[in-house]
Formats: sequence, structure tokens, C-alpha cells
Amino acid sequence: MKLDRIQVEQLRQFQQPLVLEGLEPGINLIHGPNESGKSTLVRAIRAAFFERHRSSSVDDLRPWGDSAATPTVTLDFEWGGERWHLVKSFLHRKRCDLSIGARSLSGEDAEDRLADLLGYQFSGRGASQPKHWGIPGLLWVEQGTGQVLAEAVNFAGDHLKSALNSLLGEVASTGGDDIIQTVRQQRDALLTSTGRPRGDLQKFSEREEALKSQLDALNARIADYQTQVDRLGQLRQQQRLDEQERPWEEARQQYRKAEQDFQEVERWRQDQRREQQALDSCHQKLELLQEHLRQAEGQQAQLKERERRYHEASNALNRAANQGAGVQDEEVRARDAYERARDMLKLARQQEERRGLQRDLNQLSDNLQTLKDRLGQARTFQQQLKDLQDTQQREGIDFEALKNLRKAEQSLNEARIRSESVATLIDYTLEPGQEFHLDGEPLTGQGHQQLLQEAELAIPGVGRLHITPGGEDLSELRLQLSRLSEEHQRQLATLQVASLAEAESKAERQATRLNDIKYHKDMLANLAPDGLDALTGELESGNRRKEQLQNDLAERPECPGETPSLSSAQGALDVAEKRVGKAQKAARDHQSALASANVQKENAEQEWQLLREELESDAYRSRQKKLKDDIAGAARDRDELQAKVEQRQTRIDQARPDLLQQDMQRYQASADQQEKAFRDRALELTGLQSRLEAEGAEGLEEQRDECLVQHEQAQRRYEELKRRSEALDLLLNLLQEKKQALTRRLQAPLQRHLDHYLNILFPQARLSVDDDLIPMTLSRRGSQGQETGPLEALSFGAREQMGLISRFAYADLLREAGRPTLILLDDTLVHSDRQRLDQMKRILFDAAHRHQILLFTCHPEHWRDLGVEPRDLLALKATPQN
Amino acid sequence: MPRFLHTADWQIGRTYSRFAPDDAAALAEARFTMIERLAQLAVDEQCEAVLVAGDVFDAQTVSDRTLRRAFNAMSAFSGPWVLLPGNHDAALAESVWTRALRLETVPANVHLALEPSVVDLSPQGIMVLAAPLTQRHTYEDLTAVFDSLQTPDGLLRIGLAHGSIQGVLSESVDSPNPIAPDRADRARLDYLALGDWHGAKQIAPSTWYSGTPEPERFRNNEAGFALVVEIEGPGAEPKVTSHRTGQYQWHQWHETLQVPTDLDAVLARLEALEEPAVVDIQLEGTLDLGGEAKLDQALSVAQGVHRSVECDRSRLRLLPTEEDIAALHADGYLGEVVAALREKAMDDTGAAREALVILAGLLRDRQSRGVNGEGNP
Repeated sequence: MKLDRIQVEQLRQFQQPLVLEGLEPGINLIHGPNESGKSTLVRAIRAAFFERHRSSSVDDLRPWGDSAATPTVTLDFEWGGERWHLVKSFLHRKRCDLSIGARSLSGEDAEDRLADLLGYQFSGRGASQPKHWGIPGLLWVEQGTGQVLAEAVNFAGDHLKSALNSLLGEVASTGGDDIIQTVRQQRDALLTSTGRPRGDLQKFSEREEALKSQLDALNARIADYQTQVDRLGQLRQQQRLDEQERPWEEARQQYRKAEQDFQEVERWRQDQRREQQALDSCHQKLELLQEHLRQAEGQQAQLKERERRYHEASNALNRAANQGAGVQDEEVRARDAYERARDMLKLARQQEERRGLQRDLNQLSDNLQTLKDRLGQARTFQQQLKDLQDTQQREGIDFEALKNLRKAEQSLNEARIRSESVATLIDYTLEPGQEFHLDGEPLTGQGHQQLLQEAELAIPGVGRLHITPGGEDLSELRLQLSRLSEEHQRQLATLQVASLAEAESKAERQATRLNDIKYHKDMLANLAPDGLDALTGELESGNRRKEQLQNDLAERPECPGETPSLSSAQGALDVAEKRVGKAQKAARDHQSALASANVQKENAEQEWQLLREELESDAYRSRQKKLKDDIAGAARDRDELQAKVEQRQTRIDQARPDLLQQDMQRYQASADQQEKAFRDRALELTGLQSRLEAEGAEGLEEQRDECLVQHEQAQRRYEELKRRSEALDLLLNLLQEKKQALTRRLQAPLQRHLDHYLNILFPQARLSVDDDLIPMTLSRRGSQGQETGPLEALSFGAREQMGLISRFAYADLLREAGRPTLILLDDTLVHSDRQRLDQMKRILFDAAHRHQILLFTCHPEHWRDLGVEPRDLLALKATPQN
Repeated sequence: MPRFLHTADWQIGRTYSRFAPDDAAALAEARFTMIERLAQLAVDEQCEAVLVAGDVFDAQTVSDRTLRRAFNAMSAFSGPWVLLPGNHDAALAESVWTRALRLETVPANVHLALEPSVVDLSPQGIMVLAAPLTQRHTYEDLTAVFDSLQTPDGLLRIGLAHGSIQGVLSESVDSPNPIAPDRADRARLDYLALGDWHGAKQIAPSTWYSGTPEPERFRNNEAGFALVVEIEGPGAEPKVTSHRTGQYQWHQWHETLQVPTDLDAVLARLEALEEPAVVDIQLEGTLDLGGEAKLDQALSVAQGVHRSVECDRSRLRLLPTEEDIAALHADGYLGEVVAALREKAMDDTGAAREALVILAGLLRDRQSRGVNGEGNP
């Protein structure tokens, strides 16, 4: 499709006709500043195609304030080897005429023909909206929407797919999606997304299982019932048999026989117990007699023992008596030594006291001497202090008066200096030998004089010069000077000095003297803090104490020769005291040991004598003989009894009373058990009978059969549904698989075109396309290898570039399918940087080899290197057409 | 000239789980009406007694109601009935019979032969030697006792037993409850009335199985009859006539479909079938979509006239013809799906077959709604 000419009139700002003609088959760059009419032109082209000429929703086409206008768009283009001419007018005179070669169409026929050609729809009511725009909506990019792609592709979807269909042959299915939808609904009614049963399938599966378990339960009950019936038969047979044979009676007979045998053995055992008792008492008696014999033998041994103990005690007494003399000697010696040590201690103590008195006396003498010295010094300081205080009394000077004198003298000096500055200065240098007089005073040589009052200078040989000094306050100054001088004199008189210097020297002396006075006072306080009288008293009491000490010392004469020290004398006394204690204790111990040994010896002797007398008596001897005879008799009785008991025990053991007892238990138990079994069986029979009657009345097998009917019914239904769900699942998978395969086949050509453009921008990059042919992810080489990400994640500029690339790819696809392609770009790529823009220009230029592109811009300078002549909209407007 | 009715294997209380609930109920009901028809037959044929050779009840624990209905259904014939316990209703310590006695539902003219014994029907000129089963299964010949049982001269000796004649019926080799084939001769019986085999069958000149009077399964030969036996006197050869008593005929066909005419033949047979019947058709081979529709139609018609018509197509492969496929107008990938399913359905009679049927149904629905995609631009 090639657009040749566009004419717009009475449309918004184009009151006058605007003609754009001689359009190129490739890129056409139309530029103009803002509001120069670019968007109006684009709107005009869109309106010519998308809006019904009868539409009342196109008021925006009306020029401002011209209610009678008829906005008209005229388009000329070539397609299919024919020339197409479209004139479309809106609002005031609604009209649409289309001529194709020699044929003509008008009104809605013409509009529908165009919609069919380009692949879009009309709005049912109101203005055309993006959802109607179809393929032009994809290829005609409005300002600032280049990056929005998915929606446009969706709206173009059917047209795109039908174009692709014709490209690939009949591969898409009519209504296939509806079939898939239906199959999915039916499948989802039976299966969850993960293939688990739901709905009826789940219901019947559960029902089948429930019935199965019910059936199993009934079968189990029936099996149980049948077992019980069999048991009932068996029990009845056994019961009949028992009634005839009565097996427990035989057991009772056997029991009685065993009982008799056992009672016989019991009698033997009673006899045995009796004789055993006799035997036991015989044993006891023998034991007693033998004990007596053993006691007699024990007394002989005791007699020897007592004799031995007597000798031992008597020896001990002798040993103790021998030790006595040594112990007493020691006691006497120890007491003597103690007396001596005590005397020595007394002497040592006396000497110690004497040494202490001597030491005190010496110390007191030293103290008295020191006191005497201090008293002397204190008296001297007292005298000197008195002299200093007298001098101060005489020559003291008042510091306040001195300060006043200093002030008076300073004021006087200042006044003098001031007077000198205002005084008349006479500076003179006289020739040697020359002389003149100032107020009578001769002046010679060199010098100067200051005059504060009139003066007379007499120059010999010359005459007199009367000088009156000038100045305004000279007289006042003079007055002040004399007043200050008087004050100065008065201050001097007060201080009784001739000059300030004298007063200053007097003050310095006074300062020195005051320091001396303080020093003397301090010393005096140091030497005699409580005054001289106290010091004198202290000295006197010291002297009295010294006399006392000397008296005490005289009372303690010095001991001639060596005396031990007090501590060693005390130590010696302690040793002696301990020795005395020890010696006395030894004496006491010896006394008591001697007494105890004596008692022991006497006791032992007495015991020995007593026992000997008894054992040697006649009575004792005859008792011993009888004892031996008794023992022999008892031993004989014992042996006889022993033999009898043993004999009988053998008989009892051979009869096995334990086994007899067990036999009795066994026969008794069997009889009881058999009788009990009989009774229990009768009970069980009754119970079983009534239970079976009850269960039989339930009609278990009939119930089971009914349950079986229901179960098989549910099972059949479940299996039907299961088969159906499997079939639906299979069908759905197959449908989706085939549809995906188809989509992939559709994607392939689009992918090829996408890759073609994309590789100009990013070598080896890939833009993958989803089932709806919408580009989704960009995969390209980045700094860390291959990077893949969704398109939405890209920057605005990059998304716009991808949008443009995709649209070119769709256009290529449509062209291959033999569909017309016209690309309109309104101020596109304004967000691209220079480098990208250069690449995009290569892409644009490449696409322009296959498609006509109308590029509207307000930045013609960005597009200078496109190799086309830009058309200036302002210039076109300036040359009115007819 | 004694004349009596020989029947067996009533199987009262039997249920039919393989059928739809209403069909199953009707078939169960037919077993009660069968008793009424037998009673009427005995009256009509002037029989003096009715002998039932075992398996009167299908199970021991049928409901009280079933018990009562069975005995009540006998009321039309007031002559003596002799009922023999078989393997399904053996005379155990506790059995359907002891329950019936407890319920006092057994009419006075009904003799229950619960022990090996002779039932004295001398007014009818008959002594019935009964060999009831007192266990579910036994491996000894219970009729052996007949040899030594004495009956008065001048009365017919009629044996009544339930079991398998040894070595005669193919199924009965080593089967429980054996009966010697020459028992009638050895025990000097005038007639041996047998039960257990569900089809009417003569074993020896005077030994017969009557079969069940109402068929209850597909594998029955000559089921649905009762025998009227007439014997001139002791030692005379019995005259046995077979009377149709069955309400429903049961048919089971296994057919293999190869060419379209095979299906036509089956459908023609179905159409010709006597009503009302119970039919089970099991199909193998292949069928095209047209044939499938035709089969559906014919089955639907048959279900309207017969008690039950079932058709098992699980081993039948659906093989749509090119025309079938073209008629579906499946273009694009739908066409590919149809082709793929068709290929799968060649070897697979399960999900792929069903899937193809579903898809064909959807496509046909779409056509009938006129939605064929022409509305799209």
C-alpha cells in the first residue's frame, strides 16, 4: 500500500485545504513545531478510516466556532495494482465515496471495504476506540504510546492470526478455542487441576467405597453367622453325647478310691509323729546330762586358773612396794629446788625496780635542764620585745598620712609640668664673657629659663627687656601651683619630715620593726605558751619530784655480785614448780597402786581357797559318778526309738501321699470340669440359638444382596465417570498440545522478523513471544553473560524501541501474508539516546524498504540523516491550495 | 394314575446386581409370580402333589417378608407340596426352614423334608424318599440310603434329591453333593426327581432334572420349565411332559463386528427377539461412527420393549471412516486431534475411544447449532 496524497479541509485548524502530495514509498518526514497541525493530520487520517461518516461522535473534527463546517479528508493510495480514491466528509454534509480503479463504492459499503482491507472494525455506537482499531491500531503509533504493545497486539489478534493463517495455510481451527473451553469445563467438573477426583467422580468414588465397606461388613457378619450355625450343630451333638455317657461320674469314683488310700497313709503319719516326739525328748535328756558332765570338767580347769591368778597378784604387790623409796626422795628434792628458785626471783625483782628508779631520775634531770634553758631564752625575748615596742611607740609613722603626702606631691609635680608647658621659654646662648640678668639673676653661657610672670631681662650695655608671658590661664595656674605647694608643706609637717623621701625611708624602717615584733611574740609563745610564770612553776615541781626519786633510790641498796634477769628467774621458778607437782603426783599414784595390788592379791587368794575346798569334798565325787551312769541309760533308749521311726518312714514314703493327693485333685477337677462344660454348653446353646434366631430375622443375606446391587451400580457409575474423566483429560491435553504446536508454528515467522531487527540493536539478542504473539522477554548478552528479563522491566526508552521493532516485525509478517501495511509514527523515539537513535534509524531505514512510513516530528534536526527531504507543515499551510 | 409336578431351584430371594435397579426389582419379583404360576399349573394339570427338589431359597437369611411371600404364593394349589433343602437352603442347625417354622408361616399342606426320611403321601399313592442336604456341601451320596428304605407295596417310590449326577454333567466331575447315576434302579425308584442343574434334563428313563422354572442367569440351557410326571403304577415308565413357566428369556450374545453387515445381522436378531427378554450383547471388532449411531438407536428401541438390554462395547474399537471425519468439519488443529485420537483408538479401546466419541459429539453439536466459525471475519 502506498499513500500518494492527503487533503484535509474544514477540519480543526485546517480551515483552508491542506494538501500533502507526492508521498514517497519509504520514509516521509513531516515536521512542524507544536500546534502546527501534525496531530490534526494524524487524526484526519484515523478519522478517514475508523469513524463512520454518519457518526455524530466526531465533533472534535469541527473547526473552532464553525458550526456549519464539513470536515473533509481526501486520500489517494495504490493497492493491488489499482488506484484508490477516498473522499470522506463529516458532520454538516456527511458523505463517503471510494473509487477503486474504475469501480465506485459509497457510504457504509465503501467504509466496510476499507475495514476489510486494513483489518479493523467500526464502533457500534459512539466514537471508535482502541479495541476497534485492529491492525492499524498496531501499526499507527500515537504520540507517547510506542512502548505500549500488548493491548494493541490483543486488539489486532484475530486479524493477525487470520493473516498468518493465510500465510501458513489452513492450520488454525475455527472455533477450536470453544471446543477446548467446553472440554476443559467438562473435565474440570470431574477432576481438579492436579487430576484428583471431584464432583460426581469423587461422589461416586466415595459412595462405592462406602458401599464396599458396608458390603464387607455384611459379608463378615454372614460368615460369622454361618460359623455360629455350624457351632450350634456341633454343640448339640456334643451335648447329646454327654447326656448319654455322663463322663464326670467315673471321675468321681476314681476320686473316692484315691481318698481312701490317702487316709490310710495319714494314720501312719500320725503314729510316726508321736514316736518322733519321744525320740526328740530322749535326745534332749541326753544333751542335758552331757552338759552337766562338761560343767564338772570345767570346774577343775577353773581351780588351776584361780591359783595362777593368786600368784600373779602377789608378785605385783611386791614390785609396787619396791618402787616406794625412790618416789619419796624425789619429792623432797623437788621441794628444796622450788624454795631456792622463789628466793632468786624475789632478788631479781628488787634489782629490776632499782634500775627503773635510776632511769626515771636521769630522765627527770635532763628535763629540768631543758626547762631552765627555755626560761632563760624566754626572758631574753621578753626584754627585746619590750625595747622594740618602745621604739615603735616613738618612731611610728601613719601610712594613711604617707599616702596623702604622695598624692600631694604628685599633684604638685603635675601642676609644675603644666606650668612649664605654658611658660615663656627663654633659650639663650651667650658669647663667652657676656652676661645678662633676669630679674636680677645673672645668666651666662648657655641655658634656658621659663617665665610664668612678668620679668625683666637686663642686658648689660644694652638695656632692659620687660617680658610679660602670654596665655589665657596663666594666672590661675600660678594660683593652683601655690595652693598645691602649701598643701604639700602641710603634709610634710604632719609627718614631721623634711621630704617625701625621708617619710618613705621612715616607713620602710617601721615595716622591718613590725616584722621583728611579730617574730619575738611568736618565739615567746613557742617557748612559754602559758606564760613565764607557768614555766617557772613547772621547773619548781620538777625539782620536788627529783628529790622524791633520789629518796626512793636510797632505800634500795645495790646488790653485790651477779643477779639473774627477772624473766630467767621467773622461768626457773616455773620449772621448779612443775617438778614439785610431778613428784607429788608420782607419790600419790604409788600409794594407790600399792593399795590396789594388795586388795587384788587378797581376793585371788580367797577365791582359790574356796574352790579347792569344794572340789575336794565327798558329795561332789558321788554326784559325778551318778551323772555318768544316767548318760549311758539315755543313749540306749535313743537308739531303739531311732530304728523304729526309720522303718515306718520308709513305708510312708513308698505310699507317695503327695501323688495320692494330686490324684484326688485331678479326679475332682475333671469331674467338676466335665460337669461344668456340660452346663456351660447348655447355656451357650440357649444363647447361640436365640442369637441366631435374632440375626436370621434380619435377613442378612438379602441385605447383602441388596447392598451388592447398590455397590455394583455405584461401581459401574464410578467406572463410567472415571473412563470419561480420563478421556476428557486425554482430549484436553491433546487439544492443548496441538494448539500449542500450532502457536509455535505461527510464532516462527514472527520470531524471524523480530530477530532481524533486534540484532541491529543488540547482536545475538532474542525477544521471545508468547502464545498470543506478544513479545514477553528479552534475552541478550550483558556484563554477566546472558541476561533474560521481562519487557516491562526495561526503561521507557528501551521499551519504546522494542515496541517499534515489534511493530515492524508484525508489518513484515502482514506484508508476507499479502496484507497492506502503512506505518504512522507520531513523534516517536524522543526518549532514545544518540547511540540508540542511530541504530533505530538504521532499523527504520531498513523497514522503509518494505513499508511506507509517515514520521511526524517537531524535532526535524534529529532526523536530518534519514536521507529524505523533510516536509515543513508550516510551509505547506502558508501556500494555500484550491 | 398318580400325576405330580416336579420342579426345583426356585432360588427365592435372589437379587440381580448387574442390572439397573428397576430391572433387578422386576426380575426378583418374577420369582414370586413364578410360584403362583407353578401352583396354577399344578391345578390346571390336575397334579396331585408338587415336589420341589432343593434350593427353594437362594440363601438362609432371607427377610421374614420374603419367607412369608414365598409360602403365601403357594396357596392356589391346596394339594401336598414337598420342599427339599438344597445346598443354598440346607437343613442346618439354624436354617431358613427353622425360621419358617418359628414364624409359623408354613401351611399345613406343605411338607418340609428336613431329615432323610420318607414323606408319606399315601392318599396320593406316593411315598416320597427325601435326601435333604443337612450341610452346605457333602461329598457322600445322600441318596444311598434310598436303597434300604422300605415303602408299602402298591405305592409309588419317588426319590427327591439335590446334587450332581456323577459323570454325566460336564460340570459335575468332583463336584460336591454327588448322586449315583443308577440310583433310580438300585433303589427301585419309580421316579427320581432331581434339582441343582438349572436346565431341564433327562438323565435316565425315570431320572430327571426339572431345571429352574424362571431363568436367573445367562448360562442356562433349557431353563424356565417345570415337569408334569404321570406314572400308571409301580414299575411303570413315567410319562414326563415339559411346561414352559419362565416369564423372561435370557440371552447373551458374543459377536465380532468386521464389516458393516455384521452389525446389521446382530440388530436384526435383536429385533426378532421374543418379548420380554433379558439381553446382554458383548461386541468385539471395529465400528465406524455411523455404525455407532445406528447401534445406539437400535439399543434404545430394544430397551423400550425388553426387560433389560445391555451392550458391552469395551472391546469394540471405534474406527471412524474418512467420511465420518469429513462430516465432523474438524479443521486446523482440531483435525489433527481427531487424527491422533483415531490412531490411538486403533490399538486402545479405553480413553482414546471415549475421547474420540466425546470430541465427535461436541463437533456434531457445534454443527447442529450452526456455529462453524463463518461469523469470524
